[in-house]
Amino acid sequence: MEPMLEGLALLADPFNIFLIFVGVFVGVMVGALPGLSSPMAVALLLPFTITLEPVPAIAMMAALYCAGTFGGSITAILINAPGAPPAAATALDGYPMAKRGEAGRALGLAAVSSISGGIFSLVIFLLAAPTLAKVALSFRPPEYFALAVFALSMLASISGKSSLRNLIAGAVGVLIGTMGIHLTTGVERFTFDLPELTEGIEFVPVLIGLFAVAELLKQSQTLNVAYERVTSVVIRLPSREDLRKVRGTILRSSGIGTFIGILPAEGATVAAIMGYNEARRWSKNKDEFGTGTPEGIAGPEAANNAATGGAMVPTLALGIPGSATTAIILAALIMHGFRPGPFLMKETPEFVYAIFGAMLVANFMFLAIGLAGAKIFSRITLIPRALLWPIVFTFSMIGSYALGNSIFDVWVTLVAGIIGFLMLRHGFGTAPLVMGLILGKLVEESLSQSMIMFDNNWLKFFESPIVVLFFALTLLGLFWPAGVRVHAMISARSGRRAGDANTAK
Amino acid sequence: MLPTRDRTGPAPDQDPKSAADSSLVHRTDLVLTAIILAGCGALYYMTTTFEEVSLLLAQNISPEFFPRLLLWLIVVLAVFLPVEHRFLEKGRQGLDKGRRERIKAKTVVTAGLLGGTVASMPWLGTYFSMILVCLLLPLLWGERRLKVVLPFAILFPTAVALLFTQVLRVYFEPGIVGPVFH
Repeated sequence: MEPMLEGLALLADPFNIFLIFVGVFVGVMVGALPGLSSPMAVALLLPFTITLEPVPAIAMMAALYCAGTFGGSITAILINAPGAPPAAATALDGYPMAKRGEAGRALGLAAVSSISGGIFSLVIFLLAAPTLAKVALSFRPPEYFALAVFALSMLASISGKSSLRNLIAGAVGVLIGTMGIHLTTGVERFTFDLPELTEGIEFVPVLIGLFAVAELLKQSQTLNVAYERVTSVVIRLPSREDLRKVRGTILRSSGIGTFIGILPAEGATVAAIMGYNEARRWSKNKDEFGTGTPEGIAGPEAANNAATGGAMVPTLALGIPGSATTAIILAALIMHGFRPGPFLMKETPEFVYAIFGAMLVANFMFLAIGLAGAKIFSRITLIPRALLWPIVFTFSMIGSYALGNSIFDVWVTLVAGIIGFLMLRHGFGTAPLVMGLILGKLVEESLSQSMIMFDNNWLKFFESPIVVLFFALTLLGLFWPAGVRVHAMISARSGRRAGDANTAK
Repeated sequence: MLPTRDRTGPAPDQDPKSAADSSLVHRTDLVLTAIILAGCGALYYMTTTFEEVSLLLAQNISPEFFPRLLLWLIVVLAVFLPVEHRFLEKGRQGLDKGRRERIKAKTVVTAGLLGGTVASMPWLGTYFSMILVCLLLPLLWGERRLKVVLPFAILFPTAVALLFTQVLRVYFEPGIVGPVFH
């Protein structure tokens, strides 16, 4: 109980509360602007938090993360352009409801579902993180290696065009992580004779490039896209009737979202899609989905916000990112001198509780900001893109430069941005690459340590039941989606053949 | 008897799009695979140039072991790329959605402008590089209202420079022309 009170006391500083407010405000704004996303905003914010104390720095990022997920729903509902990918499912019913003249009702439903999902997941975070950390304290390098491999295998099922491409991007991320001096032998690897690469590649410039510059280049392809917008919005809280209709959906989606969030690598987008699908599956009015039903808004919104709290569980308790944004928060923790994982819970539990408190406060703040400022946020899409994106590039440039006062880092950002743009074009997600990059060191170090422990005998990995469990989950994660697809294809083909045979008769 | 299909192309009543969908290999992805394989080959060659260390020092884990393992993994995965569309629910169309349109000249010029801005940083300094990008990028992207662009290109970088140098104490590259204005 004492660490929890200490953690909350850390937050009581008015400056910290102010920074959380800034995080929430920026988060809602960034979430609402199509093209800008919370991973991008957190990546851009990261270099400027070096001068801050760790608690306000991480609290601000966590607040931005929560608020950014909600912010996406504003533009999803009002202009049918999800500000962030997790809000894509919200647009399916939110926009039709707004077009019916009930934009305020839709936004109110989104806000209440989001906060419910967010708080639900934080309660689970509070219960699960210490327990998980206690279990993880018994992990040795082989268990960590198996856990990291499992986390990477989960990239196969995160949203995107294809599992195969996500896995390749993840592997490339891990490969990039091998650049620089090899810790065991001191041999330089892939440094291309550049002294700046001797210590490996800096995370932050790569993250900024992949999330900000790549998106900027993507936007330059779609400058002529115009949005149809629903104006004059006054957000209103859901009626008792609406709440009665959606309470089951909110509870179910909150559970789904939290579970998906806890799974390594799976983020709010997958949670939102599953939340929407499950809301439809359990609904008595399935036919109304897509026409502006309250359950169609509550399902994805509760799930995507619940995923934010869920994603913090493996990030803080295991040091394995739960989503792209938490991967960046993980990098921030490392930058501030923390060792994410079970030791973080053991050595500085008050810090973890401070982050929990910040996320809780952020949930209430975005409800207030959403209620008071939905009209303003719906208008920020009026900012011409020709002015918005130079601002993003300016921050990218300063952010990557400020980290080490090195122009080389700005070049890294630019190159990462161009590569990211090409990757996105060909269906390779940038989030899997970031996950690979963040997990790369852990994978290699734990593998090396395990092999030394096992005297180069691979078979000894299978002596640990935890390792076997993670490897089994890895195989399941890799082959289950492919298996389902192949099964569906075979069924469809045999169905077609049977149909052809009947026609021939 | 089941209808037979002309092997040289789609049947007259067959949509060419669906014919492309049913082709075994996706050409763009085939090129992509070739690029990935060539990259992996080059990197694999680089691993052969790593400094050699005794196995005793490396404790049986040589520095090239893990990168090679990853390169092999990427190669194995990449080999399936050209036929991947056949196993996807949305097929070829789902994969091609983002790349059907050619990369626009504006995108290439934007990338060039960003590169030029970064290249100019050591000479112009951070502040003037910000002004450069805030002036040229809106113009390139079609913003023609000079009374909006000019104040934006001056006021925004100035505000950012003041905030970061005075409040957040971030060091800005002065560049060659920087000291003149100090």
